[in-house]
Parts: sequence; structure tokens; C-alpha cells
Amino acid sequence: MATPSDAPPSSTDEKPQNPVSQVTQPTNDDRQDTKVEGVKESSPTSVFVNSEPIREEQVQNAVKFLSHPKVRGSPVMYRRSFLERKGLTKEEIDEAFRRVPDPTPAVATTQSVVTNQDGQIKSSSNGQQQPPAQVLQPTPVGPVGSSSKMGILSRFHWYRAVFAVGLLAVSGAGTAVLIKNAIVPRLKSWIRKVASEEDEEGPMKENNAKPNVAEEAAAAAKAAAAAAADVARASQEILITKSEEKRYFEELINLLNVQTNEMKSMSNAVQKLEGQSINGRITVEEQANQRVSRTSSRQPYTNGKADADSSSVRSLSPPAPVEPSAAPHPKSYMEIMAMIQRGEKPSNIREINDAPPNPNQPVSNPRLAPKPKPWESNQAQNSSLTTFQSQESSNGSNYGDNQLNGDDTLPWWQRKNVRITEIETADEQKFGSPNLPSNERPVQRSSWVPPQPPPVVMPEAAAAIRQPKKSSYLSDDQLLSQSTDVTDELQRITKISESGGAVDANGQISGLQSAELPQEENGSYLET
Amino acid sequence: MPVFKTPFNGYSVKFSPFYENQLAVATAQNFGILGNGRVHVLQLGPTVTERAAFDTADGVYDLCWSESHDSLIVAAIADGSLKIYDSSLPPAANPIRSLHEHARECHGVDFNSVRKDSFLSASWDDTVKLWTVDRPASVRTFKEHAYCVYSAAWNPRHADVFASASGDCTTRIWDVREPGSTMILPAHEFEILSCDWNKYDDCIIATASVDKSIKVWDVRNYRIPVVVLNGHGYAVRKVKFSPHRGSLMASCSYDMTVCLWDYMVEDALIGRYDHHTEFAVGVDMSVLVEGLLASTGWDELVYVWQHGTDPRAP
Repeated sequence: MATPSDAPPSSTDEKPQNPVSQVTQPTNDDRQDTKVEGVKESSPTSVFVNSEPIREEQVQNAVKFLSHPKVRGSPVMYRRSFLERKGLTKEEIDEAFRRVPDPTPAVATTQSVVTNQDGQIKSSSNGQQQPPAQVLQPTPVGPVGSSSKMGILSRFHWYRAVFAVGLLAVSGAGTAVLIKNAIVPRLKSWIRKVASEEDEEGPMKENNAKPNVAEEAAAAAKAAAAAAADVARASQEILITKSEEKRYFEELINLLNVQTNEMKSMSNAVQKLEGQSINGRITVEEQANQRVSRTSSRQPYTNGKADADSSSVRSLSPPAPVEPSAAPHPKSYMEIMAMIQRGEKPSNIREINDAPPNPNQPVSNPRLAPKPKPWESNQAQNSSLTTFQSQESSNGSNYGDNQLNGDDTLPWWQRKNVRITEIETADEQKFGSPNLPSNERPVQRSSWVPPQPPPVVMPEAAAAIRQPKKSSYLSDDQLLSQSTDVTDELQRITKISESGGAVDANGQISGLQSAELPQEENGSYLET
Repeated sequence: MPVFKTPFNGYSVKFSPFYENQLAVATAQNFGILGNGRVHVLQLGPTVTERAAFDTADGVYDLCWSESHDSLIVAAIADGSLKIYDSSLPPAANPIRSLHEHARECHGVDFNSVRKDSFLSASWDDTVKLWTVDRPASVRTFKEHAYCVYSAAWNPRHADVFASASGDCTTRIWDVREPGSTMILPAHEFEILSCDWNKYDDCIIATASVDKSIKVWDVRNYRIPVVVLNGHGYAVRKVKFSPHRGSLMASCSYDMTVCLWDYMVEDALIGRYDHHTEFAVGVDMSVLVEGLLASTGWDELVYVWQHGTDPRAP
């Protein structure tokens, strides 16, 4: 067994220092001697404490994990939760956090548990507010889950949209100005140039000989054609820019449409916020049937069948998660979920005032003393026999409703199934082993004294109970001895019950239980 | 065996530790999504009759009987409050207390059977709270889980030790005298919906998870489960150890069945009851009557039957 490195059983006041004391070696060494004895006579509470020393390998893995840049950005709570799920103990996690220079101060606060004498849970939740606030806790302002992310995105979109619109307007105006200032003058100069060329060619034509007339006419025609082509090109460019402007404006309008759609979806989300507690409840209810992605916190999956509205906060039905398939929900469940999605309230809900009418009224006195449990010590059982007989009369008043007063027959819920016992007797002959207690059970008394094994449908299982399988997975010697202890106990229990429950030997039963049976009713929480 | 039909969907059923023929049922309207709730106190006889019923504004997800007072019931309500009912008083005088501190739904409640004066509430606000009946405010708040806590269970022998099962895939063992949890069991890869202690071996704890399995753990060697019980077709909603046999336990699941297991045996599944036609959500084994089982589900039915018999038999 791993040597327990925590405080020895008796010093409960040292326990709060557990996380610190784990690291200091001398303290561990001091306790080495007491530890050995502590294991032998371990008091009950020490069993429920992590007794392993810190595993350095696990701590180093955790340090690597925590040093990863992406992990740095995640809330501390999720980091802790991840490490816990990987099987690290509290001490190892604390040590890893200590080693990683973590700027966030939330390490200490996440561990703190506030004992609220005055019922102030807000103070503790403030420490937790930062990690889960954004998504988990119902914040008064932001929407829950995905719609918060949508909100942030949509806000970005707003800025982007405004920026884009401004940019487009400026560019459109700029192109318009450019066209007016640059292209049109260029066009005019082109025309003037062509015209001046024609004029220049005119006097030259008179000086030249007549056979050049045709050539010159052709040249003039070419120039005119070129000018016309230039004009056409210029007008085409104007058209192109105009169409570009039109396109820009169309894009602008599209963007505005997108924005209005997002506005509508946001208003829908706000409406859903009003029924937000329902949404959260549905979310959690569905999480019970599906895997929750750790990185996306409480963002549920959407069902493939159902509406895939991306802004929905909850899933409509438990969809198939990664491995375990989700159970199909009843049809009316789906209908109710759909109603809630649409924001409708089911009509069958009544307004009920379930506040206590008189909260300060003292509690009435109980009419019965508490009964001991079947698993409690034999001494309690003996005393229970006497108390039971005194209570029989009071139980009789309950039976009165069932018209069993003075009736010797056992109520049906106490009667073992006669059919099964008949099968048992038949099987007894087959197996040749006294399987179960005989039919003459004490029917007059309630069957919780003494405990008898119920009739088992499968006699093979009953036979197997006699010789439980040796646990092969428990390789440790100590555990093997523990399992044999348990089998011995089982055999003893079955033998005792077979003999008709004669629990006269105190040592017999009490020997089954562990030696230190604390009856800790003396202490009280309030006194600490 | 008589059957009781509840008007709302069943969520939890518990036998009374005082009266062999009494049990209480927690129900919620509209599958617990949104609607009212009701606590039924039933009496067993030739038929199952209703002794008392208490209406609540929001669904009732769980309840437990007081271990010291024979007629007190603590109910966990979906609006985050805990309401205490006295079934010996008329409905007009009930509830006698309302304790509202949880920020989210209360999903589980368990009464201390050793000290008999305190109870725990497990809530979707990631916390477990400790209460006593006579105080209007909680005594302690245990806040460590990273996700909803579905169930909390007191150790049957140690008055200060309890376990909690959470959606953050861990089960934590707590000691009320310590500020934080004393052990963390990363029991499953998926959400853990229920946990319960072995009544005859105080170091054995069973956890039931969405991954359809039940794992039995020994806290003295908690790295490896003692046994993994497979057999349910869907998430296991609740697991309960038998008060009479150390290795026997009952479980109910979204596969609409109630199964009985003996984890010490090679073939652990020793009984399977498929009487429900919707999710089987609540199961209990009577402390006073050996072998008596009760179950309830979303099909609005409560069955009470002896192990080995057919729950639907008339």
C-alpha cells in the first residue's frame, strides 16, 4: 500500500495544511514511523484521503500542459478540471500550478470553499466569476453560451460593417471624382488633339498635290475613327466605373441586409433569454446524454434531425455524442422542447404558490424512534428486536388502511414469490446443495430482522455467490487478502442467514465488520 | 403488483425508513423541462393508494425521507430550492420550510443516516450544500466541481464522509470537517449521474455514468475500478446498493430497464426488469423489507415489486 503522506489520523487540525505539507520532505519523514502504525489502526477518515506521494512525472506533464500558450488563455477552472480528469491528485495539481509562473491569481481562490454561516455564496462565486462568468453563470447582460459569442462576433461585424461602408463610400466618391477630374479632361484633350490634327492636315492638304487628297481623306477618316474609338473607350470606361459603383452599392445593401438579419437573430436570442433558465435546464438535461466538449464549456450539440439553428442555446434532443449513443427521447418530449424553442409556454402549467405558509412554526415531534439499519452492528440489531415489538402496534395502525388488522397473512410486498421458491426447491434436488433458506420463514415478523438472501432467479448465481471469483485484477497482495476477507464475510453471512438468522453470537457478526466502528453521533457540525 | 400512475413524469422514488409500506415519489410536469411538480406519499396495500400529495411551482427532481422524523420529506426543486414537507400535516400547512440558496436547479438530496440530523443537496450550480432541518441557512457549501453536481451520497458508516457525482466526470469524496474534497476519482470519461456507497463495506463506492457503465471503486486503491458493469443500453441514471446484501445493487437507466447486479460474481447481471416504457429515472431498495424494489420513470408509473417477481404481474 502506498505510504500515506498525509497527517496521522489523530491530528485533524493538521489536515487543512495538507497541500503544503505534502511538499516538505522532513515533515513526511517525521511521519514515516507514525504512518506505519497509522495504516494498521487507520481511523476511518484517513481512508478517504489521497495517501499517495506526489508523482513527479505527472507534475511535469501538468507543467508542460499549463505552459502551453493555448492553455494559458483558458480559464483556471478548466485547467484544473482537465488535470483532475487525468487523474492527478490535488497536491500534484497545486504543485504544477506553483511551478508554472501563472499571472492569474485565481489559483488560490478556486480551491477555497466558503463556509457560509450567513449564507453568503456570492463572495465565493466572485472568485469563480471570471472563469465561468462568460458562459456558465447567467449573467444579467450577456446572452448565454453560443449567443454570447455570436454577440461578440456580431459586434465585430457592426464595426466591420460601418468601416466597410465608409470605405466603399469613400472609394466610390473617389472614383467618381477621379472620373470627373482625370478621365474626362483626358477625353477632351484627346478630342482636341484629334481635331487639331485634322486642322493641321487641312492646310497641308492645299499645298500638296491633288493626288494626295485621297490619302489625306483616308488619314482623316482614320483619325476620326480613332477619335471615335477613343470616345467609345472613354464612354465604356465611364460605364464600367458606373457599374462598379453600382456593384459597390449593391454590396453595401447586401451587407446592410446581413446586419438586419443579425439584428433579428439577436432579438430572437433576447427573447430566448427570457426563458433562459429553461434553456439552461434543457442544456444540462441533454448534457446528461451527450459528451460535453471541454473547450466549448456548455455549448451543446445540435441534433442532426432537428433544427440546426446556430444561435440556439440548447440542443433539442440528446444527439449522438462521440461514443455513447444518446437515448431517443419520447415524441412528446420533442414537442415540448420545440415549444420552448419557439418561446411558447406549455398550457398545462398552473400558477402555484408553494411558499411555506408558516416558516417559523416549530417542527412537529416524530412519532417513531429511528430504526437501526440492517448493516449496523449486531448490538443495534438486538435492541431493534425489542423496539420493533413496541412499534408493531404503531405499524398496525398503518396496516389498518389495508384491512389487515388481525390478519396473519403477510402483505404482498413482504411475501417472497412462492413461485420462485418452488423452483428453488426443485433445483435444490438438482444441485444437491442447500441453496436457500427453507420455506418456513418467520412470516409473522417483518423480514428485515434477520436479513436473509432473497430468492434468486438464477441458482447458478446463488451458487457463485458462495464462491465468489478471486479477483484477478487485484494484483496487490493486500488487496487479495482483502478480497478473501470479503469472501469469508460473505460465507459467514450466508451461513448465518441459513441457520434461520440466529444471531446469538455477538462476536460472529461483529467480527465481520472492521474493528473500528465509530458511532460518531456525539460530534456536531455546529460545534466545530 | 399494483402500479401507481402519477399525473406528471416520475423523477425519484424513496422508501420510508420508518414505515414498511410507505414511499414517496418526486414528479415533474413536462418531463421536468418546464412546469409544476408534485410530491406523492404512497401507501402500499392491495393497491397503491395516495396518502398525501404536495404541489410545487417547479418540478421536483429528487427527495429523501428524514432519518430522525418519520413524516418529514426533503424535496429538491428545479427552481433551486429545497422544500421540507411534513406528511402528517395537511397540504395547506405544507411545506413547513423552504430553503433557497442554490443558484441553479437542485438535482439531488440525501439524508445522513448516521447522524440523522443533516442532509446534503447537490445542484447544477456546481455546489453541494450541507443543511440541518432546524436552520434556515446552509451550514457548509462545497464548491469544487467544474460542472453540475448530480448526486451526493452520505457514507453509511462515517457520519462526516460523503461522495458527490458530477458532470465534470469526477466523483469527489468529502469530509465535512475538511475545507475541500479529500479525494478525487476521475471515474469516467463522461458525466457521472449517480453514486452510492456499499452499506457493508464503507470503502466501496459505485458510480453510474452516461457511458452506460457502472464502476465499482475501492477508495483505498482508487486508480483502478474493482469492477466495471456493462449491460445497460443507455446512460445509467441511478445506482443504489442494497441495504441487505453487501454486493447487490440496483440501477435504472435511460434504456427503460431496472437491473440488479452482484458485482462479486463473474456474471454480475442477476436481474433485469423492463417494465417501464420510458426512461427509468428513479429506483430504490427498501431498508425495512428485504428484496423490495421500487422504480419510477418518465412513463408516469411507479412500480413496487419483490426481487424475482414480475413488476407488471397483477
